[in-house]
Amino acid sequence: MRFSDTMLGVLLLVFGLAVGFYAQTFPAIPGQKFGAAVFPTTIAVGFALCGLVMLIRGLRSAGAPLIMRTEWTRKPGAMIAVLITILCVVAYILLSRPVGFIPVTTLILIVLFRLLRLPWWQTILYAVAAALIIDFVFRSILLVPLPLGIMPRLPW
Amino acid sequence: MNPILAAFELVANWQVFLTLVSAALFGLLVGAVPGLTATMATALLVPLTFFMDPIPAVGAMVTCAAMAIFAGDIPSALLRMPGTPASAAYTDEAYAMTRKGQAETVLGACVLFSAIGGLFGTAVLIFAAPALAEIALKFSSPEYFWMALLGLTCAAFIGASSPLKGAVSLLIGLFVATIGLNNPAGVPRFTFGSTEMLSGIDFIPAMIGLFAVSEVFRTIAAGAPPWDSVQSQVGNIFRNWGGMVVTYWRQQVRGNVLGTLIGILPGAGADVAAYVSYAVSRKLSRTPEKFGTGHLEGIVESTSANNSSLSSAWVPALVFGIPGDTITAIVIGVLYVKGLNPGPTLFLFNPQTIYAVFIMFIIANLLMVPLGWMAIKLAKRLLQAPRAVLMPIILAFCIVGAFASNNTAYGIIVMLVFGVLGFFMEENDIPIAPCILGIVIGPILERNFVTTMIKTDGSIIAFFDRPIAAALGIFLILLWILLLAGAWRRRAAT
Repeated sequence: MRFSDTMLGVLLLVFGLAVGFYAQTFPAIPGQKFGAAVFPTTIAVGFALCGLVMLIRGLRSAGAPLIMRTEWTRKPGAMIAVLITILCVVAYILLSRPVGFIPVTTLILIVLFRLLRLPWWQTILYAVAAALIIDFVFRSILLVPLPLGIMPRLPW
Repeated sequence: MNPILAAFELVANWQVFLTLVSAALFGLLVGAVPGLTATMATALLVPLTFFMDPIPAVGAMVTCAAMAIFAGDIPSALLRMPGTPASAAYTDEAYAMTRKGQAETVLGACVLFSAIGGLFGTAVLIFAAPALAEIALKFSSPEYFWMALLGLTCAAFIGASSPLKGAVSLLIGLFVATIGLNNPAGVPRFTFGSTEMLSGIDFIPAMIGLFAVSEVFRTIAAGAPPWDSVQSQVGNIFRNWGGMVVTYWRQQVRGNVLGTLIGILPGAGADVAAYVSYAVSRKLSRTPEKFGTGHLEGIVESTSANNSSLSSAWVPALVFGIPGDTITAIVIGVLYVKGLNPGPTLFLFNPQTIYAVFIMFIIANLLMVPLGWMAIKLAKRLLQAPRAVLMPIILAFCIVGAFASNNTAYGIIVMLVFGVLGFFMEENDIPIAPCILGIVIGPILERNFVTTMIKTDGSIIAFFDRPIAAALGIFLILLWILLLAGAWRRRAAT
């Protein structure tokens, strides 16, 4: 997904203004000229300037569509594939605590392998193996408290 | 006890050695897979280093990065796909040599000159870092302010195809760095009432998101197409070593020196070093017409440069705490976690640790020869690993790594947000490296600015009041003028 210079310029300009105005609400350090607001304000000015330059550049070479699909995302299903991947991570964030690391990870891997058209037997094999190995390495060796959820604790 | 002996004692045990070899194999694998960069290898390694002692942790990152930068040359030569951006400068040249049936010559040169380059950069690191630390002891907040600003300037504008987009990336990084409570005024900024954001954006999940998750998104969007299969046979890579060193010693030395200098410059890393060296080699060559047709000269120079810059990037990182490239940006984060706060005092109070790091640099570059040979032998098999299997597993690994940095789901959220951000930035040709350096350097810049202002009651003159600060400031202003003039001339030319 590629934004045209105009679009990107407007986006940066608006973001810069928002950051700049919000930064003015930060309290000053008593008795000091420079406090918490200085740095964010400078960054905001930078954003706004970059946005402005891009906007001018975009308006001069008018004609480009505001949002364009880059070559690889133009393939049918490409953006949907990215969306599904993002949703998989969201699903992990929401479900890992109640359901547990191994089931959720296995499930996510199955979805992604199938999305990439791996044959079913490979999908199941790799998904289960990867989930178990990662669980073993991180929980058992490195002692990361991966959420157990409904899974019983494995014997190792 | 003598700190050098103490350092050998720290390094010489099987645990460290085992860690180094495993990290090396991991680096070779990640570096050899096109699309997975050396920075990504280092970022993925970070969650594992939480559970290591400081010495093996740092050693693992050193070895992994060095191997990944070398291994990037393998698919360059065999598939015409750079394994890491640092190999992109001479990919076409290396592939042209393979097509002429000289795969073993080019890969042999890559192993040999990568290792020598790494050792050269290490030598400079060993001699320059302690000397610079002496000077850095005299530094106060104005000097650090200028150093930070120099780092930001180099990050955004040196080697960037579009300075404007480099600046946008840098600003994104600086903005991210302002989030949270961790600022000189102690005011919560841009936290929007979230308790977790008070402590700021966790650096490690952000890195994993920007470098690894965004690449997973991209590959999955493309449907993870398999690579072309490797056709050519690779013979004995050691065959021409003696002859190459004799013929190309000039290129090698020039590449080493230039790479080391670019590495020391805060903010510019191995890929810039490779591009600049390749261009210099062509310009100074007696036979520039042979470049691009499968000629070894430029490859020798740029492969020497990228590995030497990797080692010398540690000079500003260890001495000033200002990263020399994206990899050392990650390393600095790990050093803080391990209680080895970078800065000149590290050399005073922990000399044995510094020497241990130096020793591991040497080991890593020596290991490169046997392991590199092995990787080249296995390359055919390695490049058959289907991306459709690799990418989802990398994503699972990213999730666990982001979680492990703080053991909360917040890390995974940060990772996801930055993964999407990285994907969007790449789609719009906004480089990622300046953003990372902005996140690391931003707080240093702000802290030293505000501290100076408090010390001098808000007088800007303070930044030019001390001799070193004045010199640094004037140097930086000259650099800005040069950059502006260059941009102006380029605009006039078009």
